[in-house]
Amino acid sequence: MKALWIVLRKELLDAFRDRRMLLVAFVVIPLAIPLVLAGTNALGTRKQTQQLEGPLELPVIGAEHAPNLVAWLQSHNVQVLAAPPDPDAAVRAQEHDVVLRIDEKYGENWRSGRPASVEVIFDSSRPLASGATVSRLGGLLDGYGSTVGTLRLVARGIHPAVANPLQVGTRDVATPEARFDLSQQILPYLLLLLAFIGGLQLAIDATAGERERQSLEPLLATPVARESIISAKILATAVFSLLSIAVTLIAYRLAFAIVPARGMDASFDLGPGGLAQLFLIILPIVLLGATVLTALAAFARSYREAQGYLPLLMFLPMIPSLVLMVAPVRTQLWMLAVPFLGQNQMILRVLRSERISALDWAVSLGASIAVVAVVWWIAARLYHREQLATSS
Amino acid sequence: MIRVEGLRKSFQTRTGRVQAVDGVSFAAADGQITGLLGPNGAGKTTTLRMLYTLMSPDSGRILVDGLDAANEPTRVRACLGVLPDARGIYKRLTARENIAYFGALQGLDDRLIAERTERLVSALEMRDFIDRRAEGFSQGQRTKTAIARALVHAPRNVLLDEPTNGLDVMTTRSLRNFLLEQRAAGRCVLLSSHIMQEVARLCDRIVVIAHGHVVADGTPDELRESTGCTNLEDAFVKAIGSDEGLFA
Repeated sequence: MKALWIVLRKELLDAFRDRRMLLVAFVVIPLAIPLVLAGTNALGTRKQTQQLEGPLELPVIGAEHAPNLVAWLQSHNVQVLAAPPDPDAAVRAQEHDVVLRIDEKYGENWRSGRPASVEVIFDSSRPLASGATVSRLGGLLDGYGSTVGTLRLVARGIHPAVANPLQVGTRDVATPEARFDLSQQILPYLLLLLAFIGGLQLAIDATAGERERQSLEPLLATPVARESIISAKILATAVFSLLSIAVTLIAYRLAFAIVPARGMDASFDLGPGGLAQLFLIILPIVLLGATVLTALAAFARSYREAQGYLPLLMFLPMIPSLVLMVAPVRTQLWMLAVPFLGQNQMILRVLRSERISALDWAVSLGASIAVVAVVWWIAARLYHREQLATSS
Repeated sequence: MIRVEGLRKSFQTRTGRVQAVDGVSFAAADGQITGLLGPNGAGKTTTLRMLYTLMSPDSGRILVDGLDAANEPTRVRACLGVLPDARGIYKRLTARENIAYFGALQGLDDRLIAERTERLVSALEMRDFIDRRAEGFSQGQRTKTAIARALVHAPRNVLLDEPTNGLDVMTTRSLRNFLLEQRAAGRCVLLSSHIMQEVARLCDRIVVIAHGHVVADGTPDELRESTGCTNLEDAFVKAIGSDEGLFA
């Protein structure tokens, strides 16, 4: 136990004298994460406001066939543009979100009371970019159609309600914090990623680097048990990334205090309690990351090989976010036991200000700690290989 | 006191199995400097690595002060001071911190570490760089730091793998005097080298290794006698069968 503390202290001292490591952990990351989140949020908000409230730029083909419709659209904040020569290509090339084509026989059909056709040209494979604009135009056209329809019924002496047998009302029960937000999906991933591989440099340096600099063999020639050495290196990695995360969360909180939440989602305004919960949620992921990284560093034959696993490691915390994006499911208790997936759900609950029960905490923490124990055992076995100190 | 009996070790390589150590036996007594002499690749480093339990032998026995290395590796390591082939030191720590780290790992308290460090600093002439960070140390400064940290716990047995490798004449001289002091203090010193002049000059007993075998073992006089050569150099060449890699 005492040896563990000695190695841990030395590894941290070594790390805190490495200026580049400090710069990344305590300056670059704490600045980058609030910036990325604030940036995506601001961009998302601006895009949304523009698509929903700004003038809708709409190229119209055959505008001369329906001057009334065009005038009505213009009065509803639509800016009618000249039609591009090839509307399909223009939409596909994202020059326009949506193009409206008015049929040549529109006037004729309109006057004779038959349905007059208009065509909305859009690209459904870009729901994020143009979806809001398309549905806004759809809403406008529906509105025009139903207004005119109502007038026609009234002109024929029929109550308009006859054509509306069903009245559909909706009520959104979401709390303001829980509204869908793009950066709400990014934050859990960023936090988990930071927790998982935040200690990358220290972990690789402490094992693969120590071997490459030829100081591992003398260390293993001391009476200290290898289990103590590896545990100390894992703990040093974990302590270092926890400090980095703490600074990042504080920086994030400060950024929030300085720049008021104008245009930002309210969910990002976490109190100290929320921050503490986030910290506790990602604690096992920090330990898991430190253990996995140390095991990999012991497994790899060189510093460079160890770094080569980085893309794979970055992908791991992404998996639950991807799964949830493709197949959003109701949270069930077993999910909390799956590393990353469980933490992802827990972080979302904190962001949505939902309650986390004692059972949820126990399942999430317990399962993650069990996984850490297994990986630790593997890492310790790797540290006992004869090649560990001598293969460089 | 170190006893080695019938040590064997082979490695699996891409081209097949290599028998690195093939039945090595010798003893290194307290108050003596014993030299393992042999060309590069003779099995010296592998033998030493098995001694400080970094590797376990395929067969054979190692006794350090009567302790079996296979059964009590931790206690064996505690009574050894090791300068391995790999002698990297921590660049971001000072020489003193490097030494203190290993002292602490050996279970010494701070006062004892300071006292021992002081003694090693004067014995190894480290005064002018002891409190500098190791980044940019010369090879001699690195080796001295590595030796000091290996001996900070005043072990009864000292293992050194090619201690004078890459050192200049002055540093080699001070290292040689240091090893003679260790011998005078009754320690068991075991060093490996491929430089016969060095071994001939320093060692009380010489174990000549070639191709994983012990080909000669004795005092310099005994070696001269058994090979029938009056010159020690000729005796080595005769024992090994070639002069390959034995001249500095």
